[in-house]
Amino acid sequence: MSEARIDGKPASLAAAAERAAEILSAARMPVIAGLGTDVAGARASILLAEKLRGAYDHMYSVRIFADLDVMRQAGLMFTTPNEARLRADVLLFIGKDLTKIWPAMMTRLSPAEIPPFDLARKPRKILWIAPGRGGAKVEGLAVQTLDSSDLHAALAALRARAAGRPVSCAKRMLRKLDEFAEVLKKARFGVAVWGGDSLDCLMIEMLHGLIRDLNKTTRFSGLPLGCDSNAAGVVQASGWMTGFPVRTSFGRGFPEHDTWRFDATRMIESGEADAAVWISAYGPEAPPWKKNIPLVALASPQTAFAREPQVCIGVGCPGIDHDAAEFSRETASIVGRLASHGSPAPSVAAIIGQIAKHFGEDASC
Amino acid sequence: MLILLKGGRIVDPANGRDEAGDLWIENDRIVAAPPGRLADEVHDVSGKIVMAGAIDIHSHIAGGNVNTARLLLPEKHQNHLPNPPALPLSTAKWSTFETGTIYASMGFTTVIEPAIVPHQALQAHLELSDIPIIDKGTLTVLGNDDFLLSLLRDGEGQAAVADYVASAVAASNGLGVKCINAGGATAFKYNARTFSLDDVVPFYGLTSRQIVEALQRAVEDIQIPHPLHLHANNLGIPGNVATALATIEAARGERLHFAHLQFYSYGAEGDRGFSSAAAELAAAVNAAPNVTIDVGQVMFRQTVTISADVLRQFNGVAMAKPKKSVIHDGDGNGGGIVPYLYRENDFANAVQWACGLELFMLIDDSWRVFFTTDHPNGAPFTTYPEIFALIMNRDARAEATARLPPEALAMTTLPSIAREYTLSEIATMTRAAPAKLLGLKDRGHLGEGGLADIAVYTRGKDLAKMFRFAHLVFKDGDLVVRDGRVTHYRWGKALKVNPGYDKAIDRRLAAYYDHHFGVSRDLFAVKENFLPRTGMFREVACAR
Ligand SMILES: [Zn+2]
Repeated sequence: MSEARIDGKPASLAAAAERAAEILSAARMPVIAGLGTDVAGARASILLAEKLRGAYDHMYSVRIFADLDVMRQAGLMFTTPNEARLRADVLLFIGKDLTKIWPAMMTRLSPAEIPPFDLARKPRKILWIAPGRGGAKVEGLAVQTLDSSDLHAALAALRARAAGRPVSCAKRMLRKLDEFAEVLKKARFGVAVWGGDSLDCLMIEMLHGLIRDLNKTTRFSGLPLGCDSNAAGVVQASGWMTGFPVRTSFGRGFPEHDTWRFDATRMIESGEADAAVWISAYGPEAPPWKKNIPLVALASPQTAFAREPQVCIGVGCPGIDHDAAEFSRETASIVGRLASHGSPAPSVAAIIGQIAKHFGEDASC
Repeated sequence: MLILLKGGRIVDPANGRDEAGDLWIENDRIVAAPPGRLADEVHDVSGKIVMAGAIDIHSHIAGGNVNTARLLLPEKHQNHLPNPPALPLSTAKWSTFETGTIYASMGFTTVIEPAIVPHQALQAHLELSDIPIIDKGTLTVLGNDDFLLSLLRDGEGQAAVADYVASAVAASNGLGVKCINAGGATAFKYNARTFSLDDVVPFYGLTSRQIVEALQRAVEDIQIPHPLHLHANNLGIPGNVATALATIEAARGERLHFAHLQFYSYGAEGDRGFSSAAAELAAAVNAAPNVTIDVGQVMFRQTVTISADVLRQFNGVAMAKPKKSVIHDGDGNGGGIVPYLYRENDFANAVQWACGLELFMLIDDSWRVFFTTDHPNGAPFTTYPEIFALIMNRDARAEATARLPPEALAMTTLPSIAREYTLSEIATMTRAAPAKLLGLKDRGHLGEGGLADIAVYTRGKDLAKMFRFAHLVFKDGDLVVRDGRVTHYRWGKALKVNPGYDKAIDRRLAAYYDHHFGVSRDLFAVKENFLPRTGMFREVACAR
């Protein structure tokens, strides 16, 4: 992709921004989707959505709300990778593909090291529930695994056994559950690590119930691995700017949040949204919807679209092409990253800023 | 631009003024009456009250814990009101934009977010960048951070502690140092469920008292104007006045700011084992000129408690209303978010409400008692106008008191107190004294050369209305509020100190982060290029 295209033909950035503004101003209900961008890009996008009276969503909302819905229904206990690395004497992994979600996870948590801030200074105990085929490997340490085709049932049974309640299941399974429960109850500072598509809200809620129960007598916390494309950073920025996470709309002139109504893909497929901005600066993710609607794309140059967008602008990757603040899985906080390979590729914030200029010159924010 | 505020009542206790007079503004400063020049803009404010812009020294308006609270409680801040086009997001409840808008319309021009752990500092400054109009600052939270505790355990000496504290404040662009339940959050990671002044942090073998003393000295050594800002042990527990008294004693006559004292003013008397000990505590504060306090007034309504005292918050989870809470075992302090409903007909809540007002009334020196609700822990900052009315008018207080359970009132001295704050005392408590406490020489007064942060109020029978809707507010000489409405956004500064220290500690810290955390310390530094605007920091001089 050259720096910008209009209807597939090379164009200047200024012309592309102008055309994008035309498309968006003609729309009744535009939606800003994808939102794979740094904090500055999210900030600019939310301010633009406010001007347009449109809605905004993130490409990984399904996973975002698996954790967030549990938090706002029941609460949550969580910790950071630093604390897990330095203190956790028990690590409870849940689900498959954790090291695919976070390739550096084992280096970062360094489970084979004796946790330096643990009083007993003993080797860690590693438990893994439903690791999938060949998944549960920790170099230098034995891993106790518990396989289950029904993760919710397994977590419910484990919670029951940890609380000393009976469960009805096969003898071998019961023995395994009791082994796990013993390790969990004897943990001094245990950490449960989960992520990926294999856990839904019900499972995460059950897991949180287990964590809460364990804290009656000992310390235990959670470490959700979250999603890529700065999902957590976008949710944070959305939180302080509007009070709400993504899937929020300005259709009535103030932010309203609804995970079903303002699901970007649903809005587009149903015809409620009549123009879209797709933002994917971290990688070549393409829009997931099938419907053909006017599209402005701010995307990684390698992105392969099913249909050529009306306006397509190549953007740089945060932290690589330009300096960026973003949520880091390594630290579970927003961190600053200086450009590792600085380039003139524009940032999402810069392009959105150019588009926004066409909706009034007040650079008040 | 030369502006004249003509004929108002100038209430400026820092300069000993309370009289009718004119006030001149040129650009962003207050100036002497310029002979022979005509004002470009004249505001007739005769009969109105003219004060410096108010300064809030303790209000949780930004940072990871505050934002988690927003995300935890979407049902508590549904919106109904579109914003004016010039003020995007200003009506979005609990947004940073709304925060700045409401503060400004009440005449507040500087607000300090008092609880930012170094690893959350970048997020906090990003949030502060989106709070319009007001200036802000942060206090850097130390006292449960492993590096500090290891320095103390290893007896590395006060110089190393001071260097570390200076480096941590500088990296997080803080204005001062806060300590929250010193050692308590770390002890909680080792499964402690209570933690008092002389309890020992496992693994480190240090008492809370030792940590507080070391931080208190470090702040003095590196000459940060604001004394150590302390959230003590045992917050919210019946009988905790003993802890408060011991903590004041432990300051050994050295400067100390004791945060939200109301939450520590509880006795254990009476049938229910809960009573006000505010009178006794106020007497101790009166007798300790080295100590300043802020109140942390409780008001009856739904709120959410947001605190980096994770141990205390964990113990409060059962009290959550609605029934959900977040407990975060973070790097250093972490925190807890527990929604809470203060009810007028609840015995304990009524005692708490009375305790706060007793502290306001019984601490004599309005230079040493600060006006806070510990927003939002005692009440949201939007209740300030009602609290001004309560402390300025004994009839308003009597009326509110009459609605409380009599058995609660019997546990307090409040009904016997007749004091009413004067406007000059209000201006001291909310303007002159905070500026002095934070080392902000350019504000909190209306003297020549001062920053033109000015609030003009219309005096009326309804004191709450007077303070809720300022008649005019100037920020840096720019008229931003008319009749309680913000007219446009501007962007305030973040105030910070930049204490000097031996940079050798940075090399040690870099190695500590690489080895212990396995990540670079640079990730956490607050650098300007990550914020939406540059040139937004203003340095406050270290030295007293
Ligand atoms: Zn506080």
